Amino acid sequence: MKKPRAKQPHVKQRFIRTTVEVEGRTEELVVEVPAFEPEPWGPDARLTHVGARAVRVDAEAKARGRSPYTTDVRRARQADAVMVRAKVPRGRVTRLDASAALAMPGVLDVLLAADVPARTRLFSSEVTYVGQPLAAICATTRAIAERAARAVVVEIEPRPHAVTVADAIAADAAQQPVRPGLKGNLLFGEPRTHARGDVVAGLAAADVTVTREVRTPCALHSALEPHSAVAEWEDNRVTIWESTQGIYRVRDNVAKALGLPLTDVRVICEAMGGGFGAKNYAGAHTYIAALFARRLGRPVACVVDRLGEQLDTGNRPASAQRVTLGARRDGTLTAIEMVAEVPLGIGGWEGGPGEIYHELYACPNVRTQETFAFVNTAAMAAFRAPGHAEGAVGLEIAMNALARALGMDPLELRRRNLATRDQKKDRPYTGNRLAECYAEGARRFGWSERRAATGSAAESTSASGAPAGRAHLRRGVGVAAQIWSTGGGPPSYATVRINTDGTADVLTGSQDLGTGTRTILTQVAAEALGHELAKVRAVIGDTASGPYAGNSWGSMTVASLAPAVRMAAEDARRALVEAAAGMLDAPMDALETINGEVRVRDTDRAMRFGDVTAKLGNVMIIGQGSRGPNPQDAGIVTTGAQFAEVEVDVETGIVRVVRIVAVHDAGRIVNPTLAESQLEGGIIQGLGFALFEERALDARLGLPLNTGLHSYKIPTMADIPEIDGHFLDGADPKANHVGARGIAEPAIIPTAPAIAGAVADAVGVDVLELPMTPWRVLAALERAR
Amino acid sequence: MRLHLNGRELTADPAGDVTLLDLLRNHFGLTGTKRVCDRGECGACTVLLDGDPVYSCVTLANGCDGQRVTTIEGLATGADAHPLQDAFAREDAVQCGFCTPGQLMAAAALLAATPDPTDDEIRAAMSGNLCRCGTYPKIVKAVRRAAAAMRT
Repeated sequence: MKKPRAKQPHVKQRFIRTTVEVEGRTEELVVEVPAFEPEPWGPDARLTHVGARAVRVDAEAKARGRSPYTTDVRRARQADAVMVRAKVPRGRVTRLDASAALAMPGVLDVLLAADVPARTRLFSSEVTYVGQPLAAICATTRAIAERAARAVVVEIEPRPHAVTVADAIAADAAQQPVRPGLKGNLLFGEPRTHARGDVVAGLAAADVTVTREVRTPCALHSALEPHSAVAEWEDNRVTIWESTQGIYRVRDNVAKALGLPLTDVRVICEAMGGGFGAKNYAGAHTYIAALFARRLGRPVACVVDRLGEQLDTGNRPASAQRVTLGARRDGTLTAIEMVAEVPLGIGGWEGGPGEIYHELYACPNVRTQETFAFVNTAAMAAFRAPGHAEGAVGLEIAMNALARALGMDPLELRRRNLATRDQKKDRPYTGNRLAECYAEGARRFGWSERRAATGSAAESTSASGAPAGRAHLRRGVGVAAQIWSTGGGPPSYATVRINTDGTADVLTGSQDLGTGTRTILTQVAAEALGHELAKVRAVIGDTASGPYAGNSWGSMTVASLAPAVRMAAEDARRALVEAAAGMLDAPMDALETINGEVRVRDTDRAMRFGDVTAKLGNVMIIGQGSRGPNPQDAGIVTTGAQFAEVEVDVETGIVRVVRIVAVHDAGRIVNPTLAESQLEGGIIQGLGFALFEERALDARLGLPLNTGLHSYKIPTMADIPEIDGHFLDGADPKANHVGARGIAEPAIIPTAPAIAGAVADAVGVDVLELPMTPWRVLAALERAR
Repeated sequence: MRLHLNGRELTADPAGDVTLLDLLRNHFGLTGTKRVCDRGECGACTVLLDGDPVYSCVTLANGCDGQRVTTIEGLATGADAHPLQDAFAREDAVQCGFCTPGQLMAAAALLAATPDPTDDEIRAAMSGNLCRCGTYPKIVKAVRRAAAAMRT
């Protein structure tokens, strides 16, 4: 890591290099040091709007069906585009004839490989996965376009495919056309190894070792709003409505792919129906909409259908993890070793299960080796805590096995291996209250009592936990922990302007995926302005109005953006107070802003914001804010623990989750209600990962088998246990001056491993492959017999 | 065909293969009803047909001739939000909001038939409406809250 150059005396450097952690990866970048940094809001700061359970600002619009999602955009003369997709995993297109489709009434245009700029990377004749776009059809209605797409004649000469890691790395495996010079169909040309200390010596020093081989499934994001774009050109400029986690990134992608200056691309995302990591970039649908709209001179929508969603919009890749842990009798870990295979699909990055093994527990000797292979399935994409959600399953199942081997309470084992320093970078944390999360979670859950009354611990007692006639139902409890880098970081910008009537607009180029960003930013701005919440409006989701904000990914949005918004609001507030000082005939430092008024402290003299601005006429009060660098000498993480109680029917193999208690430390919580909603959501997705969700693949044919929401099973309302989701009170002023860290991804990480621990506790045997379907539970019981 | 749509008498002439969902969204511009799976698997397109919840994506428009259709836009009859809409907002039973209109219509049908449902009845009646954000616990609370408000 490069350190900023030594400062010259009296000259503050405006641009410095810094590092930011995104989705587990560290990026080095240039950042602008803000003109001023507000005093941090510490844990004891007395705040009005920040920390309040404000109602989500767009809740009523959404509940009335009025929120304008991309799929609801209706422009005059708007046409619809659909894709023609490959139905085989590997081969070469030998014939693609759209003439019959083009002749159909209502069909407007077809896009083939020859019609698209190379940088869009659309419509390769080399087929590498089922679902790959081969062509696109545009028609006056979607129904016509769909009929026409079926009339396109496609002939593909099949070639041998590989959808498993073993097939992809076999000596005689064909080279996957991912990039020139690719070695062995592996992401780095070889397995990736990360190590610290000496694992061999650590295992030799262990009193007890355990090994487990764990498998996690390929999971699909399945956001309900499909990937979608509407494009409209005026002169040579294009406006794109896109369902996206990053309007600025889509703008940059489109400009680059179509060779346009950035001034000529505007991206809008007013309301967004979920992303979970799958909507971070412009996609085939974006380019198809933009290209058709330019060719036809009319607006074009391209909305991916559900089959396309499930086939070709990213996934959490499967993993096979072989874990070995070594510990002394007292439970102290002496070694952690993990070897993994991950089939990435035909593209992707190293969001693997390995990193959490280096982070969650204190251990001097850790070694992970991950083989990331390119295979003939759709490329992976970041999916809520990519890598950590999978890695936690392997690590925590092994920790539970170790606890059993030691005859120790699994919670106690975790407490004894608490990481009090950033294990990877050997530095302190800005704050990490995992020990308190364990204690508070155990208290809420009644860990000791429930552990004594359920599962294997109860087997030896007369009360096995099951009433008469219910002997086939076994109860068990489990616990798992979580760590995830959630510091956010620069760059992010915001503008706050106070209008002539005293109301305020917050402008920033972020977007609200359903997480509540719009509400959170409104609360932060109202707090920093000293304004009424109802008088502040966040204007987001439009590159034409808001300055740059990063993608909503990596649980980064609040920690990145809230400080920029706060700074912009304080900047605007200073200008307002300066103007009011003359009107109130008082010095600036005697003035305070509360509830939309500028008041002279300790007097009854005050002016409404609107009265101050009215006197200013059209003088604009504009505050600018930016996000400064993170501290470089400390790790910024969210940690937490989740506790699960399950009931397993040993005759049918059905697992029912009875209860989940979750306690996390995420620094300051700007809106507890919204935070709890997100925590519950993460837990429910984690429950799906544990019990139901798996993209099934016919390896012989290379075909995905469950491509709809009926066969790819996400949790329903009937599957939901009692959930007690809780955040520790407090703030992390060392992380940033708002004191907030992220929560979205931490929420999902411990759920599946906690459930797996509870199942093992209930039935006395590990179920080592997720999802823990009835079939797998029964097979595990059979093997143990 | 004639349709009593959200309290208004309307006519349309859809082709035989047009679904009620497409008629609502594309012909009448009522985009509150969402298309997600387009095959009756997720509940996002739920509307009321003569008071009963149906998946509009697998309901042919022509089959609704003369019937009463209520969509999310017609749930509140006056300027004020329907008690269910109010409860969904107050309980934060809305995250991304894409499933919300379908959830609300399913809940409205439930409360019309069962004014004081148990949590199990709520979960059973609404388990056909998927939510990927995992808002379910808050939806159960919101339905309970609305039920109480509507009984008084």
